[in-house]
Amino acid sequence: MNCKGWEERIALSAGGGLDPAIEAGVKQHLAECAGCREFAGGMEDSLNLLRSAHEEPIAAGHYTVVRAGVLARLEGQRRPWRRWEWAAGLAAGLAVAGVFVAMRPAETPKVIVAAVRRPEPPAVAMRMAEAGAQGENTGDRRVRPRGPGGRGASPGHRASLGTEPSVPAFPRIPVTAQNRGPETSALVEPLVVKLITNDPDVVIYWIADRKGDAQ
Amino acid sequence: MTGLASPAMAATLDGAEALTTVLEAARSGDLAAFDTLMRWHERLVLATALRLLGKMEDAQDASQEVFLRLYRNLNKLEVSQNLAGWLYRVTVNVCRDARSRRPEEASVEEAAELVSPDADPQQAATRNERQRVLELSLRLLSGKERTALVLRDLEGLSTGEVAEILGTSQATVRAQIFQARIKIKGFVESYFRRRV
Repeated sequence: MNCKGWEERIALSAGGGLDPAIEAGVKQHLAECAGCREFAGGMEDSLNLLRSAHEEPIAAGHYTVVRAGVLARLEGQRRPWRRWEWAAGLAAGLAVAGVFVAMRPAETPKVIVAAVRRPEPPAVAMRMAEAGAQGENTGDRRVRPRGPGGRGASPGHRASLGTEPSVPAFPRIPVTAQNRGPETSALVEPLVVKLITNDPDVVIYWIADRKGDAQ
Repeated sequence: MTGLASPAMAATLDGAEALTTVLEAARSGDLAAFDTLMRWHERLVLATALRLLGKMEDAQDASQEVFLRLYRNLNKLEVSQNLAGWLYRVTVNVCRDARSRRPEEASVEEAAELVSPDADPQQAATRNERQRVLELSLRLLSGKERTALVLRDLEGLSTGEVAEILGTSQATVRAQIFQARIKIKGFVESYFRRRV
């Protein structure tokens, strides 16, 4: 084809939609030029081939894959949203509860010492203390239960506490390697203090373990 | 985009009322309605993406992205807006992004994937041949030429509609179409000359 100037117009007219005046000019030229008719025919054939190939139906399975993928992702996006809703509801509930607690009138708890009681000393320790009170000090190592002043409790004090067991005089027991035992743990007397606040549900027990002054 | 001369766009205009109903239901979170919306436009999106990307797998990925963007923008879309035009524009953008992310690969064999499985062997062979020619000839084109030719000659949009979708002038589209048609004509003729 020697008509280079017509090539673009012929190519564009193959798809239609050209300006009618240009289209009419192309038709007139094609009627006169065999080379351009061949060019136009080849252009039409190639475009028709491509269009017919493009218009062939796509297998339905390919569409299904697309739709299923989209719906799966949309469902997946919805689930976290629901979880978020639950979390937001829980957080709101906690916030309301926190506000309720914070708005309650602040009450300074009044502490009343209801009772101070010293637990009963172990029976063995009492016997040993009584033996020691009889003045039989032979230089052997002895362990005495502590009194309020940190020394051995007097019989009068024991009576006031109501913990005096009625035991007969107990012979002195020499301390040997075999019977020495865990003297500190067995003979330490913790002090128990019961504290009552103005809240009937709150009772505080304070247990003071006084170590180091048993000897 | 005001003109709806193309068959694809006219088809959506026919069911404008139904589209409005389905669009409203999809906006309210009805996934079944959105599924219907996808079914109505799946050919438009997948076929265009396939011609622009050349591989069915890539086209399916791109189509999914297009429909997800549609879902995210349901509330922004006006009922009176041309949904087909919007979908073409998004499809072109998604495919352009996909092409820029991965280099083009030879995928002549995948042209056979397009053939419907119910075809008889002789028809299937003819279809495979056509698909092969289509795929190979599109691969000769630049990205812009390919997009313009797919929308103009394969999807049947007007030059004005293509220009609006691509955000360019009609003169530019005409120039791209011309170059693309010349290349394709040359390829098709040489292909069948070799075959003969």
